[in-house]
Amino acid sequence: MHYRVTHTTTYAYEELVSICHNEMRLEPRSAPRQRCLATALAIEPTPAVLGSSLDYFGNRASFFTLQEPHHRMVVTARSELEIASVRPVRPSATPAWEELRAEIRTQTTHEALSAYEMSFDSPLVPVQPAFARYALPSFAAGRPILDAVLDLTRRIRADFEYRPGATSVTTPVEEVLARRHGVCQDFAHLELACLRALGLPARYVSGYLHTRRARSEAKEEEEGGEEAVLVGADASHAWVSVWCGDAGWIDVDPTNDLVTSDQHLTLAWGRDYADVAPIKGVILGGGEHTVEVAVDVEVVAG
Amino acid sequence: MTERGAGQEALQLDYEALTGLHDEMQEPAGKTRAHWEPVVRSLQDLGAGELARRWELGRRLIHENGVTYNVYGDPRGMDRPWELDPIPLVLAQAEWEQLRAALAQRARLLDAILGDLYGPQRLLRDGLLPPALVFAHPTYLRPCHGLRLPQASWLQLYAADLARAPTGQWWVLADRTQAPSGAGYALENRIVVSRTLSEAFRESRVERLAGFFRRLRDTLHSLAPRQRDDPHIALLTPGPYNETYFEHAYLARYLGLTLVEGGDLTVRDRMLYLKTLGGLQRVDVLLRRVDDLFCDPLSLRSDSSLGVAGLVHAARAGNVAVANALGSGLVETPALLAFLPSLCRALLGEELALPSVATWWCGQSEALEYVESHVTELVIKPAFPSPRMEPVFGARLSKGEREALCARLRASPHAFVAQEQVALSTTPVWDGENVQPRHLVLRAFATSAGQGAWELMPGGLTRISTARDSLVVSMQRGGGSKDTWISCERPPAPITLLRAAGAPIELTRAGAELPSRVADNLFWLGRYVERAEGTARIAREVLVRVNDEGAEAAVALPALLEALSRHAGGAEPLRRDERALLTFLFEDESPRSLRTTLRMVHQLASSLRDQLSLDTWRVLSELRSQAPVHSAGAARQQLNGTMMRLAAWSGLSMESMTRSLGWRFADMGRRVERGAWTSILLGACLVQAHDDEAPRLEAMLQAAESAITYRRRYRGELQAAPALDLLLTDETNPRALAFQLVALEGHVAELPSARGHVERPPESRIALSALARVRLADVAELCRVEDGKRLRLEELLARTQGDLRALSDVLTRAYLSHAGESRRIERF
Repeated sequence: MHYRVTHTTTYAYEELVSICHNEMRLEPRSAPRQRCLATALAIEPTPAVLGSSLDYFGNRASFFTLQEPHHRMVVTARSELEIASVRPVRPSATPAWEELRAEIRTQTTHEALSAYEMSFDSPLVPVQPAFARYALPSFAAGRPILDAVLDLTRRIRADFEYRPGATSVTTPVEEVLARRHGVCQDFAHLELACLRALGLPARYVSGYLHTRRARSEAKEEEEGGEEAVLVGADASHAWVSVWCGDAGWIDVDPTNDLVTSDQHLTLAWGRDYADVAPIKGVILGGGEHTVEVAVDVEVVAG
Repeated sequence: MTERGAGQEALQLDYEALTGLHDEMQEPAGKTRAHWEPVVRSLQDLGAGELARRWELGRRLIHENGVTYNVYGDPRGMDRPWELDPIPLVLAQAEWEQLRAALAQRARLLDAILGDLYGPQRLLRDGLLPPALVFAHPTYLRPCHGLRLPQASWLQLYAADLARAPTGQWWVLADRTQAPSGAGYALENRIVVSRTLSEAFRESRVERLAGFFRRLRDTLHSLAPRQRDDPHIALLTPGPYNETYFEHAYLARYLGLTLVEGGDLTVRDRMLYLKTLGGLQRVDVLLRRVDDLFCDPLSLRSDSSLGVAGLVHAARAGNVAVANALGSGLVETPALLAFLPSLCRALLGEELALPSVATWWCGQSEALEYVESHVTELVIKPAFPSPRMEPVFGARLSKGEREALCARLRASPHAFVAQEQVALSTTPVWDGENVQPRHLVLRAFATSAGQGAWELMPGGLTRISTARDSLVVSMQRGGGSKDTWISCERPPAPITLLRAAGAPIELTRAGAELPSRVADNLFWLGRYVERAEGTARIAREVLVRVNDEGAEAAVALPALLEALSRHAGGAEPLRRDERALLTFLFEDESPRSLRTTLRMVHQLASSLRDQLSLDTWRVLSELRSQAPVHSAGAARQQLNGTMMRLAAWSGLSMESMTRSLGWRFADMGRRVERGAWTSILLGACLVQAHDDEAPRLEAMLQAAESAITYRRRYRGELQAAPALDLLLTDETNPRALAFQLVALEGHVAELPSARGHVERPPESRIALSALARVRLADVAELCRVEDGKRLRLEELLARTQGDLRALSDVLTRAYLSHAGESRRIERF
């Protein structure tokens, strides 16, 4: 599938901002099934400093500074992507989860080390026994890893309510577990916490989700439509990627209870949201501010 | 020669070392070690009385120099005096030479480990270090991976905590690699103890510390990314609330660095700048006392307000050198101790010269098994920095507690280490009458000398346990400290920190490089000092009259109470009530109260430590102690004392401060505030006319310190017009409103934005118009009474007060407000 994505973020400040430093992860990385054909950033006002490099996790990270006083900042990222559909992996063909866990602790190849690194605490995903307790019913002894992960993903979808606005980027994942509601970012953190509490490597993926129908159509059918509308469409989305040994990393979306195919567009991955926030910044001045985000994902060719 | 007081008995050292442990002073048979002889002889010669007398002077020096160590949760809070023992720890030179080589090796090793972990990670791939030890470490700073560093060196200052086993062998208890503290305290300890035991200091031929600090300064200079003679080096402090803030200010002054907080700095064009009154000034090298994670809210911990946004990017671009490098806290983990011998062989091809305390990292299954089965012999600690967990002594746990602990270890094994309980050596400590053995830990410091060479501080910070049988040695938990002497065979060469001759120093009288935060603090220091003086002056006049039943007091008091209420007022207007007044003056915590104001003076003075002379600091630090009093007389006495100290500050600031921008801001603060309270006083005493004004005029002149001048000019008779002239329009009277406005107008003309511009900036226009209004005022006209009030006067005073407020706001906006704090924005 060939996509064109436009992601516009507009900040409006009540008072002048004298300086603003930003880090962005808005340019899609290349991934096993994904090729980034083109990507371009437009920033208003023109930044005094703009640089780009690959971060620790191999994501394209841009850094820019606005040094002239401003009331408004608009960042637009336009990208074209090609995503191959997934050759489904048979869950029963993946190794038993305990075997995988034991194996990852002894291997020292670059790939294995990068995977192992994803099994530890991270700032937004503390590993705690409560998560292991929630996860364990899905992880019977000897169960193939992907089979267990799919069961966990299904349970998260069933047990937790998708409720926009009830949580924020600072809501701790412990609270999400206790309150049983949240948004895609919370569910991704929750699933990561569950997997890592069992010593299994999993990473946070930031990106977009495309629904097969055009946007207006989806809106009309939202109530009582026949086809279920996927949650997270036409906005930033987040899901998790689980290390499955020889089968590599397999992406699952706990918000929609599915294994990703060619509708999930990957921007960046890391240990948790803090590693891959699309935009984060520090400003001097500004007073109150508002942010508007508009994401448009269109299919160029099927 | 030693002085001995008349009739003073020699001090009998009936010192008994503890059995089974190494004692620093005594050999097992009880004989004094040779290198301790000068100290022991000196103690005996001085006698307990003379030692006590000298030590009293030493303690006073500590107090006066403001040497403090802020202990969290201590009732003395911010200003706990530094605990020091007069008897130094003496070490022989030969032994020290061995430590010198061993610690240099260790510093090289830790530097190499950092280079690998933040680079190729060969150690992980080759199985020399368990990857979990790095991956699970919360201060493994991924944004700093691949950082290219000046001279490829991560560490410039390194410290090791050393303990001595019963065999006499030194062990390393812990390594300090990100921002080691204590070097400044070691220097201060040296100054105090070498004075107290001056004879022994000479005889012991103690190696001097200055050379170490000169090397540290040279090392910092050499890091500067731009090749130039005088790089700008700043010391980044978390601020006055940090436990070792004293040391930050002290080292900054001693090494000639600019003391800065995160808010003083900004990154532009990937370069680090200091925000000064004269604009932005490039910073080349940053010696940091802020922990790794907190140094940059953009790339590291986003909730930190202690760092500088963009610092990581500036460091990555090679435009600023940070010492020690960002991320270097990684190798402080005690878990690393278990692996150092093999890492030393792999990285340096050498055997590790100095052993570490036996350590098991529970992240390895064999180690975890060992720890679980030997828990009673071990101390369990967090492997990674954790403010929430204290070390746990396995021997002190009940069976149930041990099991609970083991369950915790199994749940997240990589988060814990276990260490052998070390039998610390002992050294004599003076308890005020005699000497007693206490356990000690020595913190040694080393600074990089380029090309892998390291220079060890000849001495260090010795810390001692709180009690004879306590093995806990920690300043944070209230232990004491000692000076550390390396006794040499030959007399040491004199060293000075002053610059060597040859390199000519550029002459400068600038002041524009003053950090905006410092200017802001000086401005408010001036305001608060003057606010306190105004309160004290008006309150004294109130207190003289509060119990006076005479008619004159009855006329003057309401005006004075109104002035006091308006100037220093709390929630309620003040009434004629002695008790309530005393409570208000000495216990009230409202924003403008005397107590709050003096507290603010002290707080500001603390954060200006590196800017104030020692004498100024002494005067200001004395201001704070205000005990509640129970009578108007006692209160007056207390206020007199306060006034004397405020007067001392005025004298010092007039006579000892160069007429730099810093002084201008302090003086502008003072003038704004004096203008404000003087006009309040004039309004309260003069606006409402009264049949018999004399008592009010008298009180007003007294409060404004102008009664004598009035009498000299006008003999006895008190009238409104001459009194008003003296306090409003007389530009020669330092108490008059006009005097303040003249001074302010002069100051704003000298500020950076006013110089060289034709158009007057707003602050200049406000100051000038306020001054012109007062100059043009007709005193007779102002004194004219209509309907029982002097309306013209009331209007003039109100407008002047408005101008003073506006001036303060404009100054803050133009010069001081960009010292404001950054905020973070984040958006999903």
